[in-house]
Amino acid sequence: MRLKARHQAGAVIPTASMADIAFLLIVFFMVTITFEKDKTQVALPKTDLRFEIPKIVAYISITDAGQIKATNGEEMSTTLAAEDVVTFAANVVTRYPKRPIVLKADGEVPYEKVDKIIDSLKQAKVELIYLLSDAREIEDGG
Amino acid sequence: MRLKKHESDPEIPTSSMADIAFLLIVYFMVTATFAATRGLDFALPKDDDNPPIVEKEDSVLIQIEPTGQLNVDKEPPMHVDEGFALKLFDYLKPKLEANPKKPVIIRSEPNAPYRYMVEVFDALRKIKIKTSADGLEREVYTVSLADIQAAAEQDPPTDLGKDVNVSIPTQREIDSFWF
Repeated sequence: MRLKARHQAGAVIPTASMADIAFLLIVFFMVTITFEKDKTQVALPKTDLRFEIPKIVAYISITDAGQIKATNGEEMSTTLAAEDVVTFAANVVTRYPKRPIVLKADGEVPYEKVDKIIDSLKQAKVELIYLLSDAREIEDGG
Repeated sequence: MRLKKHESDPEIPTSSMADIAFLLIVYFMVTATFAATRGLDFALPKDDDNPPIVEKEDSVLIQIEPTGQLNVDKEPPMHVDEGFALKLFDYLKPKLEANPKKPVIIRSEPNAPYRYMVEVFDALRKIKIKTSADGLEREVYTVSLADIQAAAEQDPPTDLGKDVNVSIPTQREIDSFWF
Protein backbone atom coordinates (compact mmCIF):
# COMPACT_ATOMS: atom_id res chain seq x y z
CA MET A 1 0.00 0.00 0.00
CA ARG A 2 1.34 3.34 -0.86
CA LEU A 3 1.42 5.72 2.04
CA LYS A 4 0.02 9.12 1.59
CA ALA A 5 2.71 11.77 1.47
CA ARG A 6 3.01 13.65 4.72
CA HIS A 7 2.26 17.29 4.80
CA GLN A 8 5.61 18.86 5.62
CA ALA A 9 5.68 22.44 6.81
CA GLY A 10 8.58 24.44 5.40
CA ALA A 11 11.20 25.64 7.87
CA VAL A 12 10.44 29.25 8.68
CA ILE A 13 12.22 31.67 10.96
CA PRO A 14 9.60 33.61 12.90
CA THR A 15 10.18 37.24 12.05
CA ALA A 16 7.01 38.77 13.38
CA SER A 17 8.68 40.21 16.45
CA MET A 18 11.78 41.41 14.64
CA ALA A 19 10.51 44.97 14.25
CA ASP A 20 9.71 45.10 17.98
CA ILE A 21 13.20 43.94 18.86
CA ALA A 22 14.68 46.43 16.43
CA PHE A 23 12.75 49.30 17.99
CA LEU A 24 13.75 48.19 21.47
CA LEU A 25 17.38 48.30 20.38
CA ILE A 26 16.87 51.75 18.90
CA VAL A 27 15.35 53.01 22.16
CA PHE A 28 18.29 51.52 24.08
CA PHE A 29 20.84 53.25 21.86
CA MET A 30 18.96 56.54 21.95
CA VAL A 31 18.79 56.50 25.74
CA THR A 32 22.40 55.50 26.31
CA ILE A 33 24.13 57.46 23.59
CA THR A 34 26.25 60.37 24.68
CA PHE A 35 27.61 62.83 22.19
CA GLU A 36 31.16 63.43 23.26
CA LYS A 37 32.19 67.03 23.10
CA ASP A 38 35.84 66.11 23.02
CA LYS A 39 37.07 63.51 20.59
CA THR A 40 40.78 64.12 20.97
CA GLN A 41 42.69 60.89 20.62
CA VAL A 42 45.19 60.41 23.42
CA ALA A 43 46.89 57.45 25.08
CA LEU A 44 45.71 57.94 28.64
CA PRO A 45 47.82 56.96 31.64
CA LYS A 46 46.75 53.75 33.33
CA THR A 47 45.53 53.55 36.91
CA ASP A 48 43.98 50.98 39.23
CA LEU A 49 41.57 53.43 40.84
CA ARG A 50 39.10 54.95 38.38
CA PHE A 51 36.06 56.82 39.58
CA GLU A 52 32.98 57.65 37.56
CA ILE A 53 33.10 61.14 36.09
CA PRO A 54 29.87 63.18 35.81
CA LYS A 55 28.33 63.17 32.33
CA ILE A 56 28.49 66.90 31.72
CA VAL A 57 32.00 68.19 32.27
CA ALA A 58 34.46 70.59 30.72
CA TYR A 59 37.45 68.99 29.05
CA ILE A 60 41.01 70.13 28.60
CA SER A 61 42.95 67.74 26.38
CA ILE A 62 46.66 67.65 25.72
CA THR A 63 47.86 65.53 22.83
CA ASP A 64 51.25 63.82 22.67
CA ALA A 65 52.34 66.68 20.37
CA GLY A 66 51.46 69.16 23.11
CA GLN A 67 48.38 70.59 21.39
CA ILE A 68 45.75 71.82 23.83
CA LYS A 69 42.04 71.51 23.12
CA ALA A 70 39.24 72.57 25.40
CA THR A 71 35.47 72.54 25.66
CA ASN A 72 33.18 73.85 28.35
CA GLY A 73 30.91 70.86 27.81
CA GLU A 74 28.45 72.71 25.58
CA GLU A 75 30.30 72.99 22.28
CA MET A 76 32.79 70.76 20.52
CA SER A 77 36.37 71.17 21.68
CA THR A 78 38.58 73.72 19.97
CA THR A 79 42.30 74.37 20.00
CA LEU A 80 43.47 76.66 22.75
CA ALA A 81 46.77 78.42 23.46
CA ALA A 82 48.38 77.55 26.80
CA GLU A 83 48.14 81.16 27.99
CA ASP A 84 44.38 81.18 27.34
CA VAL A 85 43.64 78.28 29.69
CA VAL A 86 43.21 80.60 32.70
CA THR A 87 40.55 82.63 30.87
CA PHE A 88 38.84 79.49 29.63
CA ALA A 89 38.77 77.92 33.11
CA ALA A 90 37.62 81.17 34.73
CA ASN A 91 34.71 81.31 32.26
CA VAL A 92 33.73 77.74 33.10
CA VAL A 93 33.87 78.49 36.84
CA THR A 94 31.76 81.63 36.39
CA ARG A 95 29.13 80.18 34.06
CA TYR A 96 28.95 76.64 35.43
CA PRO A 97 30.23 76.76 39.03
CA LYS A 98 29.48 73.09 39.75
CA ARG A 99 30.93 71.72 36.53
CA PRO A 100 34.15 69.74 37.04
CA ILE A 101 37.05 70.07 34.64
CA VAL A 102 38.53 66.89 33.25
CA LEU A 103 42.17 66.80 32.29
CA LYS A 104 42.60 64.41 29.39
CA ALA A 105 46.31 64.33 28.76
CA ASP A 106 48.43 61.87 26.86
CA GLY A 107 50.56 59.81 29.23
CA GLU A 108 53.75 60.64 27.39
CA VAL A 109 53.29 64.42 27.49
CA PRO A 110 56.16 66.13 29.35
CA TYR A 111 54.94 66.99 32.82
CA GLU A 112 55.76 70.69 32.42
CA LYS A 113 52.84 71.07 29.98
CA VAL A 114 50.43 69.50 32.47
CA ASP A 115 51.96 71.54 35.28
CA LYS A 116 51.16 74.77 33.44
CA ILE A 117 47.56 73.67 32.91
CA ILE A 118 47.11 72.71 36.57
CA ASP A 119 48.64 76.03 37.60
CA SER A 120 46.21 77.87 35.32
CA LEU A 121 43.30 75.95 36.83
CA LYS A 122 44.44 76.87 40.33
CA GLN A 123 44.66 80.51 39.32
CA ALA A 124 41.14 80.31 37.89
CA LYS A 125 39.91 79.03 41.30
CA VAL A 126 38.94 75.60 39.99
CA GLU A 127 38.40 73.37 43.00
CA LEU A 128 38.04 69.89 41.56
CA ILE A 129 39.55 68.28 38.52
CA TYR A 130 39.57 64.74 37.23
CA LEU A 131 42.64 63.15 35.72
CA LEU A 132 41.21 60.93 33.01
CA SER A 133 42.76 57.48 32.94
CA ASP A 134 42.43 54.04 31.42
CA ALA A 135 42.15 50.84 33.40
CA ARG A 136 45.42 49.12 34.10
CA GLU A 137 45.43 45.63 32.67
CA ILE A 138 45.89 42.90 35.25
CA GLU A 139 49.32 41.45 34.71
CA ASP A 140 49.76 37.72 34.67
CA GLY A 141 51.28 36.57 37.89
CA GLY A 142 52.86 33.52 36.22
CA MET B 1 -26.90 55.90 -12.47
CA ARG B 2 -24.82 55.93 -9.39
CA LEU B 3 -21.36 54.47 -9.85
CA LYS B 4 -20.10 52.18 -7.17
CA LYS B 5 -16.70 53.29 -5.93
CA HIS B 6 -14.19 50.79 -4.68
CA GLU B 7 -13.08 52.23 -1.36
CA SER B 8 -10.00 50.81 0.28
CA ASP B 9 -9.38 51.34 4.01
CA PRO B 10 -6.80 54.06 4.66
CA GLU B 11 -3.66 52.62 6.22
CA ILE B 12 -0.08 53.64 6.89
CA PRO B 13 2.38 51.56 4.90
CA THR B 14 4.50 49.77 7.48
CA SER B 15 6.19 47.17 5.35
CA SER B 16 9.48 49.09 5.29
CA MET B 17 9.45 49.95 8.99
CA ALA B 18 11.69 47.03 9.97
CA ASP B 19 14.20 48.05 7.30
CA ILE B 20 14.24 51.62 8.61
CA ALA B 21 14.59 50.37 12.17
CA PHE B 22 17.57 48.21 11.27
CA LEU B 23 19.16 51.08 9.39
CA LEU B 24 18.83 53.22 12.52
CA ILE B 25 20.37 50.46 14.63
CA VAL B 26 23.32 50.19 12.28
CA TYR B 27 23.74 53.99 12.44
CA PHE B 28 23.75 54.01 16.24
CA MET B 29 26.10 51.04 16.44
CA VAL B 30 28.58 52.65 14.07
CA THR B 31 28.51 56.07 15.72
CA ALA B 32 28.43 54.87 19.33
CA THR B 33 31.66 55.51 21.17
CA PHE B 34 32.56 53.82 24.38
CA ALA B 35 33.68 56.83 26.31
CA ALA B 36 36.47 56.40 28.85
CA THR B 37 34.77 58.56 31.41
CA ARG B 38 36.62 57.46 34.47
CA GLY B 39 39.60 58.81 36.25
CA LEU B 40 41.12 60.07 39.45
CA ASP B 41 39.58 63.04 41.19
CA PHE B 42 42.02 65.62 42.45
CA ALA B 43 40.93 68.46 44.71
CA LEU B 44 42.99 71.52 43.92
CA PRO B 45 44.03 73.60 46.88
CA LYS B 46 42.80 77.15 46.77
CA ASP B 47 45.23 79.57 45.15
CA ASP B 48 46.00 81.25 48.42
CA ASP B 49 48.30 84.25 48.64
CA ASN B 50 49.43 83.12 52.06
CA PRO B 51 49.46 79.33 51.97
CA PRO B 52 50.63 77.40 55.03
CA ILE B 53 54.34 76.87 54.74
CA VAL B 54 55.29 73.22 54.80
CA GLU B 55 58.92 72.59 55.51
CA LYS B 56 60.43 69.99 53.25
CA GLU B 57 61.73 68.20 56.34
CA ASP B 58 58.19 67.81 57.73
CA SER B 59 56.91 66.09 54.64
CA VAL B 60 57.68 63.15 52.41
CA LEU B 61 59.06 64.30 49.07
CA ILE B 62 58.66 62.07 46.03
CA GLN B 63 60.70 63.28 43.11
CA ILE B 64 59.97 61.78 39.71
CA GLU B 65 62.84 61.64 37.25
CA PRO B 66 62.32 61.57 33.46
CA THR B 67 63.44 57.92 33.43
CA GLY B 68 60.68 56.92 35.85
CA GLN B 69 63.03 56.72 38.78
CA LEU B 70 61.48 57.81 42.07
CA ASN B 71 63.59 59.45 44.72
CA VAL B 72 61.65 59.26 47.95
CA ASP B 73 63.42 61.30 50.62
CA LYS B 74 66.78 59.63 51.19
CA GLU B 75 65.55 56.11 50.36
CA PRO B 76 67.18 54.00 47.67
CA PRO B 77 65.65 54.89 44.28
CA MET B 78 62.53 53.06 43.12
CA HIS B 79 61.16 52.80 39.60
CA VAL B 80 57.59 53.45 38.48
CA ASP B 81 57.55 50.46 36.15
CA GLU B 82 58.95 48.02 38.73
CA GLY B 83 56.37 47.51 41.45
CA PHE B 84 57.16 50.67 43.39
CA ALA B 85 53.76 50.83 45.13
CA LEU B 86 54.56 48.23 47.78
CA LYS B 87 57.96 49.76 48.57
CA LEU B 88 56.40 53.20 48.82
CA PHE B 89 53.66 51.89 51.11
CA ASP B 90 56.22 50.16 53.37
CA TYR B 91 58.13 53.44 53.65
CA LEU B 92 55.08 55.60 54.31
CA LYS B 93 53.25 53.26 56.73
CA PRO B 94 55.19 54.04 59.93
CA LYS B 95 55.29 57.74 59.09
CA LEU B 96 51.53 57.93 58.55
CA GLU B 97 50.86 55.88 61.68
CA ALA B 98 52.82 58.48 63.62
CA ASN B 99 51.30 61.45 61.80
CA PRO B 100 48.23 60.78 59.59
CA LYS B 101 48.32 64.33 58.25
CA LYS B 102 51.90 64.12 57.08
CA PRO B 103 52.05 65.84 53.67
CA VAL B 104 53.32 63.75 50.81
CA ILE B 105 54.59 65.98 48.04
CA ILE B 106 54.87 64.76 44.46
CA ARG B 107 57.33 66.71 42.41
CA SER B 108 57.84 65.70 38.83
CA GLU B 109 60.73 66.84 36.66
CA PRO B 110 59.51 69.06 33.78
CA ASN B 111 60.47 66.55 31.10
CA ALA B 112 59.21 63.44 32.91
CA PRO B 113 56.21 61.81 31.21
CA TYR B 114 52.89 62.78 32.81
CA ARG B 115 51.89 59.15 33.33
CA TYR B 116 54.52 58.69 36.05
CA MET B 117 52.89 61.37 38.17
CA VAL B 118 49.46 59.80 37.67
CA GLU B 119 50.76 56.36 38.61
CA VAL B 120 52.37 57.67 41.80
CA PHE B 121 49.19 59.58 42.66
CA ASP B 122 47.17 56.40 42.02
CA ALA B 123 49.40 54.42 44.39
CA LEU B 124 49.02 57.08 47.10
CA ARG B 125 45.24 57.24 46.67
CA LYS B 126 45.04 53.53 47.47
CA ILE B 127 46.50 54.11 50.91
CA LYS B 128 43.95 54.71 53.66
CA ILE B 129 44.44 55.73 57.27
CA LYS B 130 41.94 54.57 59.84
CA THR B 131 42.05 56.01 63.32
CA SER B 132 40.42 54.28 66.29
CA ALA B 133 37.56 56.00 68.14
CA ASP B 134 39.86 57.07 70.97
CA GLY B 135 42.35 58.39 68.43
CA LEU B 136 45.21 56.38 69.87
CA GLU B 137 45.58 53.63 67.31
CA ARG B 138 45.97 54.01 63.59
CA GLU B 139 45.80 51.50 60.84
CA VAL B 140 47.45 52.27 57.53
CA TYR B 141 46.47 49.92 54.73
CA THR B 142 45.79 49.79 51.00
CA VAL B 143 42.46 49.33 49.27
CA SER B 144 41.44 48.32 45.77
CA LEU B 145 38.79 49.85 43.54
CA ALA B 146 36.51 46.90 44.41
CA ASP B 147 36.90 47.68 48.14
CA ILE B 148 35.97 51.33 47.55
CA GLN B 149 32.95 50.41 45.43
CA ALA B 150 31.78 47.80 47.96
CA ALA B 151 32.12 50.33 50.80
CA ALA B 152 30.15 52.93 48.86
CA GLU B 153 27.32 50.47 48.21
CA GLN B 154 26.76 49.83 51.92
CA ASP B 155 23.98 51.70 53.66
CA PRO B 156 25.35 53.76 55.33
CA PRO B 157 28.59 53.73 53.31
CA THR B 158 31.47 52.10 55.14
CA ASP B 159 34.18 54.50 56.22
CA LEU B 160 37.45 53.18 54.83
CA GLY B 161 39.46 55.91 56.45
CA LYS B 162 41.19 59.09 55.41
CA ASP B 163 43.28 59.61 52.30
CA VAL B 164 46.93 60.50 52.40
CA ASN B 165 47.51 64.26 52.40
CA VAL B 166 48.93 64.44 48.87
CA SER B 167 50.19 67.72 47.51
CA ILE B 168 51.24 68.31 43.91
CA PRO B 169 52.69 71.80 43.84
CA THR B 170 53.15 73.47 40.49
CA GLN B 171 56.50 74.84 39.39
CA ARG B 172 55.28 78.39 40.05
CA GLU B 173 54.37 77.47 43.63
CA ILE B 174 57.70 75.74 44.16
CA ASP B 175 59.58 78.78 42.85
CA SER B 176 57.47 81.14 44.97
CA PHE B 177 57.44 79.37 48.29
CA TRP B 178 60.45 77.10 48.55
CA PHE B 179 63.26 78.91 46.84
